[in-house]
Amino acid sequence: MRQFIIRRVLYSLVTLGILSATIFVIVRLTGDPALLMAEAGARPEDLERVRQQWGLDRSWPVQYLSFVQNIFMGELGKSFNYRLPVSELYFQRLPNSLTLGFAATLISIVIGVPAGIISAVKVNTWWDNLAKGVALLGLSIPGFWLGLVLILIFSVWLRWLPTSGAGDWRHVIMPALALGWYFAASLLRLTRSSLLEVLGSEYIKLARLKGLPEVVVVAMHAFKNALIPVFTLAGVNLVVMVNAAVIIEVIFAWPGIGRLLYEGIFQRDFPLVQGVVVMAGFMIVGINLVVDILYAFIDPRIRLAR
Amino acid sequence: MRHLRFQAQTVFRVLAVTLVLVALAATATPTASQPKVTPKGKMTLAWHAGLASRWLDPQEHDGTATPDNFLTAIHDALIKNQGTTLYDHPALAERYTFAPDAKSATFWLRKGITFHNGEPVTPQDVKFSYENYRGAKADVFKRKTERVEIVDDRTIRFHFKEPFLDFVILFGTSNVAGPGWIVPEKYYKQVGADGFKQKPIGAGPYKLVRHEPGVKIELEAFDGYYRPVHVKQFVMTAVPEAATRVAMLERGEADLIYFVPGELISKVGKLPGVVLAPVLSGSWWLEFPGFQDPKSPFRDKRVREAVSLAIDRRAINQAEAGGLGKPTGNWINNDVQYAIEWPEFEKNVERAKQLLREAGYPNGFDVDWLTPVPPFYSRAERIISQLREVGIRARLQTMERGIYLQRLQSGLKDWPGTQIIFQAARIAGSWSFWYEAYFKCGGFSSRDRICVKDLDAQFEQHENSINPAERKKLAEAIQKGILENHYIVPVFRHAFVNAIGPRIAAQKWQDIFPTITTGYAYPWEDIKLKEQ
Amino acid sequence: MATIAARTSPTSPGVRHVVSALREAPMVAVVILVGLTLVAIFADLIAPYDPTLPVKGAKVFDPPFWMEGGSTATLLGTDFQGRDVLSRLIFGARVSLVVGLMGTVVAGSIGTAMGILSGYVGGWVDQVIMRVTDAWLALPALVFAIFLAALVGPSMWNIVIILGAVYWTRYARVIRGEVLTLREREFVKLAEIAGASKLRVIRRHILPNVMNTTMVLASLTVGVVIIAEASLSFLGVGVPPPQPAWGLMLAEARSMLMAGQWWLTVFPGICIVLIVLATQLFGDWLRVRLDPQLRNL
Repeated sequence: MRQFIIRRVLYSLVTLGILSATIFVIVRLTGDPALLMAEAGARPEDLERVRQQWGLDRSWPVQYLSFVQNIFMGELGKSFNYRLPVSELYFQRLPNSLTLGFAATLISIVIGVPAGIISAVKVNTWWDNLAKGVALLGLSIPGFWLGLVLILIFSVWLRWLPTSGAGDWRHVIMPALALGWYFAASLLRLTRSSLLEVLGSEYIKLARLKGLPEVVVVAMHAFKNALIPVFTLAGVNLVVMVNAAVIIEVIFAWPGIGRLLYEGIFQRDFPLVQGVVVMAGFMIVGINLVVDILYAFIDPRIRLAR
Repeated sequence: MRHLRFQAQTVFRVLAVTLVLVALAATATPTASQPKVTPKGKMTLAWHAGLASRWLDPQEHDGTATPDNFLTAIHDALIKNQGTTLYDHPALAERYTFAPDAKSATFWLRKGITFHNGEPVTPQDVKFSYENYRGAKADVFKRKTERVEIVDDRTIRFHFKEPFLDFVILFGTSNVAGPGWIVPEKYYKQVGADGFKQKPIGAGPYKLVRHEPGVKIELEAFDGYYRPVHVKQFVMTAVPEAATRVAMLERGEADLIYFVPGELISKVGKLPGVVLAPVLSGSWWLEFPGFQDPKSPFRDKRVREAVSLAIDRRAINQAEAGGLGKPTGNWINNDVQYAIEWPEFEKNVERAKQLLREAGYPNGFDVDWLTPVPPFYSRAERIISQLREVGIRARLQTMERGIYLQRLQSGLKDWPGTQIIFQAARIAGSWSFWYEAYFKCGGFSSRDRICVKDLDAQFEQHENSINPAERKKLAEAIQKGILENHYIVPVFRHAFVNAIGPRIAAQKWQDIFPTITTGYAYPWEDIKLKEQ
Repeated sequence: MATIAARTSPTSPGVRHVVSALREAPMVAVVILVGLTLVAIFADLIAPYDPTLPVKGAKVFDPPFWMEGGSTATLLGTDFQGRDVLSRLIFGARVSLVVGLMGTVVAGSIGTAMGILSGYVGGWVDQVIMRVTDAWLALPALVFAIFLAALVGPSMWNIVIILGAVYWTRYARVIRGEVLTLREREFVKLAEIAGASKLRVIRRHILPNVMNTTMVLASLTVGVVIIAEASLSFLGVGVPPPQPAWGLMLAEARSMLMAGQWWLTVFPGICIVLIVLATQLFGDWLRVRLDPQLRNL
């Protein structure tokens, strides 16, 4: 077991290394941030001064080494734009992103799973078709459009909810809905197909033969088994959502990490972009690692596999 | 009888003493006293982009027309642009003099002014702010200044090595440079430049309550300000999506929103109680990179003139700025030193085609790319379709903003073939700042793409001259030269359309946007909310 | 529950299988896909106007013809530049189909290749590829796409490549899993023992058998890629204007939702829904037809 854990940890480190190198190179390929940071009338000497200030005049390998060194010391660099340590900025915004992610995941589960169950239990009836139609809409409507329509209806016309920004639960609902909509649709489909498969299995046929009422059959037996892949997907989605909610955050002026990263890219805020991507990487790789180890505990075959 | 006389004498004495006391009281009252106003209420500004922390620190003014929105709330300057005064409205300084030989400038500080932390504003702080300044035009100030002399506890004098004619404009225009904006020396050194940007302290009408970098700035009225501040709480929040800003305005979450895009202008204008504020801002013009190359179709003046004749400036103004911009006249705006007046540009498609025929292009010609400042693609598309009418066929080139700025920097080699650049700039301070950056050979934005030798020579003269009359003559001649030869083709002056919400007291939009040198709503202290 | 029948013949039976089964495919999906393809091919003939130029005589923001102020000259109205919406939708089919389908092809090709390499060759190649895949997945897809767009500049084909580069990882992992199983199958082992080179084994035995999975995954990815195009346009790094693309039309016109010009977003939205519907239906059917085991993908 220990060997397995060590191996997995090593893999994670390599992954992070590749990730950090990739983002380091990409960010530098997009150009010279000194230009964007210097003022309109700057002369070459000013640009040079800015570069020196930020260590941009050193060669790339040297910069990368220093970057990695700093990571090990817990220092992710200082944002050009905000003049704050990147880690501070990241942790300032992380709770907001997590809130949004959790809320969206919750909404996607609350909408997707019951709808999927109904759809599977009443397969091929018009309930099923309705649910499939809803799923289709979820998969084909871009989040930004849905977000703006929600603002239009609930903030402007009905005046029920605030348009934007972070705050209490009223501020979270619309962005969470706009973000979670797509995932609700995919959870719906997955729940449906997973449940259908279990419902068709021998085990369930036996339960039915035994004369158990349908509800019990569904609730007790099918449910449990069908939901394992569903919740795995939900877990993965959460992580994806936290990092990829850029568009929703822009529309709703939500102070999350996605927006931080997006604005950082356009302003060529190298340390910010590098730092946030590495932090996000840590999070994802870390969660994967924990999940892998947990699975290995549960299922011994996995630790022996490659 | 004697009793009465005694009483009369007493009354006289009392009256006399009273009169004297009243006279003394009158003279002792501070001259700058204004009726005391209790700030109340809250106003919210929805800012249209991101919030860079450097905009809270005048010491690192980036030379763009953005930091002034924030500096004017938290900080104050010796002299500044306010209302119709272009650069020398007395603020922290109650008066100043500029020597006739332009080799020195003296400022007298107002009495009783303090920073938000209670410390008084002293000439030492002024000296520090000036000498420690590292932002736009810092090199110019350093090069030309000999020393900063603290004359007494309220007076400070700047001595220059040579006549520094532009000093007052550079010093006092808040969208050009920042050394005149006074920061507290002790505090600045204590927290450092980075710490200062997180928690700035200034001498302005509002003090910082909370700063969420990139998200929100919460301010509160400073009761030690020498002018009355009307609104107590002031929040600036970053809302990059235009549709969301409009929704905020509609729902009353924002009292002021900046930048209403062209397609939403008429809708916002119809909202109850909302006043549109179409402030004239950036000038837009067409540049022909490398036009002096013999292979370029634009080397012929007739072709450039044809381009100018083909453009329907009024239509672009109507579509892009709801008709609220300025489609006529010189691209150098008239609130800037030595700007000349110019008649409206003619639109004449037939004449344009004729000129092209004369120049040898009866069927027009192809332009490889027309590139606007990102992301203003729709106005570029309009130009393209207008040029098509006369046979000039161009394609739109889009690129990300950072890449655009970079390409501008690297010069002609990044603009091969036949190209047109649809450039823009918010021109401030003096026309010469524009020329230096956008036209001169080697300029920050122009690099080697234009380089008209005789005009550059005249500009050198202008820069070296210390005679204002000669400068003015040269300035006018150069602008005329550019316009008559169509070296660039001005398109229009864009309207930065903002909206004032129903809770703010405004008879007309200029009440909230009185400062003509900017698109922002300062002075902030003057904004009032409607009585409940 | 059927087992996977081993394919040992050299021609791509997966594809052949699909083609022959198309006759039994869901009609709705086929009609939509074929219809859109025809529209895309014959756009020049069908569209009433040039999609990049304003319509002469029409104003900006003309509503569809059945509303007040609309005209039959511009059936679905005009946009903020006065361009005909219907023409833009028709030409937009081209871009959206190319981006959607080609993007999926690029992603699928890279992903399948990586998956096969990783699964079959194994060893450190596998490790490297898997680590790269993990790293790629940790990088937010859209952010990565913004970077690439900034680097290579926006153009339709660049977007295709970018989207392919972003979404290949979805295939790699799944295909690798498949290949790992296949490796242990007798017919593969037999071929190896018989002395067939790795390349030959891959070509003849592995590839045909993973094609099913690839195609099912592909049908699911098309929708994602098309929506990603819309998202890229929202962020300003999508297909460059004035070329029409459905996602770009949605993104450009989003603020007009507030001003009431609903037709500018609803019509391109409907088109996107149609193509996603078609690919979903097709994918579902394909999945069940080819191998019920793949139902949980």
